[in-house]
Amino acid sequence: AAAEEFTEELLLRPLPDRKALAHFHFRSSAPPASAAGRHHHLFPKAISQLVQKFHISELELSFTQGRWNYEQWGGYDPMSTNNAKPPGVELWAIFDLPLAEIDATWKNLTHTLSGLFCASINFLESSTAFSAPRWGFKLNEGNLRYGALPREAVCTENLTPWLKLLPCRDKAGIASLLYRPSVYKGYYHSQKLKLKSSQSLGIILDQTLTVVLQPNTVSGKQLHSTGGQLQPSWSMEHLFSKKLSGKCLVSKSSRVFVEIEKGIVDNVDKAGSDVSSNNDLFVLSTAPDRSLKELDNLEVQSSSLYEYDVNNYNSDKPLNVGITWKLPLIWSCTRAPYHASRFLMGSGNERGSIAMSFLSTGLDKQLVDSSNDCSIKAVVFQVVPWYVKVYYHSLEVFIDGNSKAISEVVDKIHVTPSEDKLLPGTMEMLLKFPCSMQLATLTLDFDKGFLHIDEYPPDANQGFDIPSALVSFPEFNSSRSYPEADPLFVSPLLENFKEDGVVKSYTEVLLVPLTTPDFSMPYNVITFTCTVLALYFGSLLNALRRRIGEEERGLKKAADKRGLIPLLIAKLRGQKVDPSESESTSPASLPRSKLLLKVVFVAVVAIVFHYLSNS
Amino acid sequence: ARKMAEIAGDETPPLPSSSGAEESSLLSSPPSPTAISGDEPPPRTRKPGTKRLVLTASVLLSFLVGLPLLLKSTEIHRSPLPSDAIADLSRRLQSHPPSFPCGLHAVFLRSGPGSPVASLADQLERAISTQHHLLPASSTAGNISVSVTIQSGGGCTSSTAAASPWRCGLLTAADSVRDDEVFDELLHSALGGRDGDGMKVYTIVIAEDDDGKGTRVVIGKHRHAWVVGKVDEAEALSLIGNVFIKYFMNGGIEEGETGIGKGEFMPVGSDGNVVLSFSLLNADPNDWVYDWEFKNIGERILTPVVEALRPVADINIESQVLYHTPKSSYSYSDDKLGGNVLSMGDIPFFVNSNEWHLDTSISATGRSKVLQFVVYIPSARECPLYLQLPDGELSKTNAFISPMWGGVVIWNPPGCSVGSKKAHGTRRQMSSQELMETLEIFIGQLRQLFGLKPNYHAQGMDVATKFLVSEKGFAQWELDLLYRHHACSNLLSCVATLESLSSLVQSLPRMIVMDEIGRQVELSLEAASLAQRNATLGIGDSSAVSATRARALAEDAFFHPSIMSISYASVEHYFAIYME
Repeated sequence: AAAEEFTEELLLRPLPDRKALAHFHFRSSAPPASAAGRHHHLFPKAISQLVQKFHISELELSFTQGRWNYEQWGGYDPMSTNNAKPPGVELWAIFDLPLAEIDATWKNLTHTLSGLFCASINFLESSTAFSAPRWGFKLNEGNLRYGALPREAVCTENLTPWLKLLPCRDKAGIASLLYRPSVYKGYYHSQKLKLKSSQSLGIILDQTLTVVLQPNTVSGKQLHSTGGQLQPSWSMEHLFSKKLSGKCLVSKSSRVFVEIEKGIVDNVDKAGSDVSSNNDLFVLSTAPDRSLKELDNLEVQSSSLYEYDVNNYNSDKPLNVGITWKLPLIWSCTRAPYHASRFLMGSGNERGSIAMSFLSTGLDKQLVDSSNDCSIKAVVFQVVPWYVKVYYHSLEVFIDGNSKAISEVVDKIHVTPSEDKLLPGTMEMLLKFPCSMQLATLTLDFDKGFLHIDEYPPDANQGFDIPSALVSFPEFNSSRSYPEADPLFVSPLLENFKEDGVVKSYTEVLLVPLTTPDFSMPYNVITFTCTVLALYFGSLLNALRRRIGEEERGLKKAADKRGLIPLLIAKLRGQKVDPSESESTSPASLPRSKLLLKVVFVAVVAIVFHYLSNS
Repeated sequence: ARKMAEIAGDETPPLPSSSGAEESSLLSSPPSPTAISGDEPPPRTRKPGTKRLVLTASVLLSFLVGLPLLLKSTEIHRSPLPSDAIADLSRRLQSHPPSFPCGLHAVFLRSGPGSPVASLADQLERAISTQHHLLPASSTAGNISVSVTIQSGGGCTSSTAAASPWRCGLLTAADSVRDDEVFDELLHSALGGRDGDGMKVYTIVIAEDDDGKGTRVVIGKHRHAWVVGKVDEAEALSLIGNVFIKYFMNGGIEEGETGIGKGEFMPVGSDGNVVLSFSLLNADPNDWVYDWEFKNIGERILTPVVEALRPVADINIESQVLYHTPKSSYSYSDDKLGGNVLSMGDIPFFVNSNEWHLDTSISATGRSKVLQFVVYIPSARECPLYLQLPDGELSKTNAFISPMWGGVVIWNPPGCSVGSKKAHGTRRQMSSQELMETLEIFIGQLRQLFGLKPNYHAQGMDVATKFLVSEKGFAQWELDLLYRHHACSNLLSCVATLESLSSLVQSLPRMIVMDEIGRQVELSLEAASLAQRNATLGIGDSSAVSATRARALAEDAFFHPSIMSISYASVEHYFAIYME
């Protein structure tokens, strides 16, 4: 039987905006076995048990901080397609279960993942937080669930449990480069866990970490004699403050790749030199063990990869791959056919509109002949929380500024309207844009809903995040293949590059300000009402009990009358009391004894109550 | 306050109407003396009318009408808990702790011819019965019925007390010279050949045989022991009493020792589940990496143990291999012993919870228990690593346990000695022989965690005693002991939980009690009484099963999520809200 395997790989790539991309890829695989989930050698026990318990056939969980810059860092390559993720947490899973059991399983799964990764994934438990897209996200038979938490902050407490799933953690091998201060200083950081499980293949766990870093080189600003500014030269040590001193001993293969984009390769070709590790434009600090060339469908070399086998390096001879530029160079990454972005329109706390714009990047001009009936397809998938009540009938489409009939542009649409406190609104839409189009805009009106006072999150005045929408272009495929003569050369990273990769891009997260109540309002209302009630009952009782006329008479009498004590003293002395006065004494002493009785009665009641309530 | 004053000012306009005049004069106190000196109203001549009375009564009435509404709106649902039944059960358990009746059957195998005398059997029976005052109070054994069978060449005689399962003539004293394992099985078949349900009968066979080797006692895998040798009657009687009380009833645990029935907890989750998680820790894979074939060998060795313990706990087995897991205590090099030594005082710091990601298992949900069993492979620098006992000796097993957590075995890989060369990252397999030896240590640790002795030394017996080891890890009589104690401790724990729940509910009159809690309590009581009934019949295993169920249900009720929530309010809180 096949054994459990582990491979580790790292891909480094210079980016046009003077930054560098590092992509870590770890694959653990477990063969299908009857004792799966119980006995393991390399594969993490927790993941295997998770798959067994929740009958997962596919799962992807990503934690992202920052936004992928599709303009600068590329939008038409496997990296952006597979590893550019929306900010916050995104989770989707396909279950191998009857449809009726899926929702309950999803809820349990979110709680388990929440515990496993130290994150509030359990907020995806509520039915208002997840949706079941049919084809807009990924074609499925109704057994897929998708949820996103755009506001989840990602930090090192999420990375540690993720590293725990690797056999060597960050103690050895490529993961030892993950020096936290440099990783979290980056511009973009996305940590992903992807699971695939089937009866025939067993479980394949891909863990990737994609970071965009600013190399902290001292000589970053050096000017070249030709006047242009050189790209910063960097090496692993600059990026991670560490060198690589050997592989994780239990890994089957351990490799580092340096990828040189098509834009640079074209420039090297133009300069007339061969694309090797040392040419007119740049030099790699260490000679690679192997170089691979990508061939696109026209058999033209587009990008090249330089491979280093970490097996050949150890703590005495650490690996420190770097790139040094010789000439100033400006290049750009390949971009997706349209740049998709999403924004809010309107003002006030009552209503607004969501607009989505597609700006042509000019890519289609090169690829498609501009005949009249040529069109480009785009699929939009967006989930909107229920408190943003979108009126889907209000969909309007503008192409190059002109309003178009929906039927001209929208090929297929599937909408699940939101239900208050029950379901989020889900929209899947297949659009067809004419090739000559420069800018398309879609608008949707919405009303802002009201939440119950205890449904507001802390700091509600900050606004509410609407998760990113996903735009994919099914006619464009970003997969790359690196033909290799050696059949023994198996790289899961390059395998992933080769897999079907429909070009995708995520839009921005929207921040919708909702009307937030004055959270002290209930207490104000209570105080106010109580005051009014107290005044009402107080004056009512006064009006009923007191007789002003008689009181005034009484006061007048009292002014004439002697005090009670001199009266009593006089009585004790045996003096005859004036009958008119004795008449007034008895009613005067009677209320006093009554008062005394009342006080005694209240005291007794209080004591009895206290005694009863305590016993 | 200013706002209130303003409101009050607004609400009392100086109206000329009578009530208005009254109120305004009320507010402008003290009344000006000019009002009195003016034309005063005539003194009251008639009694006050009913108008005011009606008005006052209507206000009062509206309060009284509102009162039921208020009470209705603040009503809370409380499922009635059978607190009487709980108290009753607790009283019953206190006055009559569960005791399991069992039988003691003594068989005398006489080699001489002739039919034994019936009266001798009765006489022996009486003699044995008088010894039972020796039984310590902590034992869970109840009534002991004694029976005696004497077999000699001519036939068998049994005492009148019980129908003996002894198959007369199947076995003679001469058979006792055979191999102990064989004789054990022969005895088992002579006694009916089944472990049986119902009351447990323990048999002690006295085989008279004077081969001159002296007297010895063998305790078998089932519910019997035998004595071989030339023993006179008085000696035989004392041996029978000794073996029965010391081992069959108390598991060989002396007074003052910790162990089963001595306040030790069972390492079983309150839902009756246990996960045994086996981990192989490679302290430093740069030196050597070891793997094991646990799936086949481990499962094969541990399955009988799991089966044997099923009435006590539902056991799941898992295994994993971890890397880069250094220990967190220091060891020092000892040249005399030729290795690194870890003293007993450092053991509490051995388990490195920062680096050992032993992981609780997803299969151990809720309140089930995970027992960790760890094989630690030292790095080349600290190899070989030995455990030193307080008396300076080295530990034979090189292992230790931590109660309620699990056990650790330090396994020095073959060929590791002080200053051994790094094998630099070679991956090796732990041989199956070594793995089996390690697992045997683990089974011993498991026995210890369950409160039994890891192995027996014939202490306190004045004759040579031998114990046959079962492949299940636990002999049948040990399992009986375990079942009895498990049933007792679970019953007590169940009652304690139910009592706490009942007093909690009574002490918080405004606490919501869900119907489900009431149902769980009832089911728990039912299971508890079933366990008690089984105990009085002497059926240990099913009593243990019911007791486990009773405890699980009681804990479920106590830890019901609705109890944990702040769904109740104190009386003060209640008054504060509604009377303000």
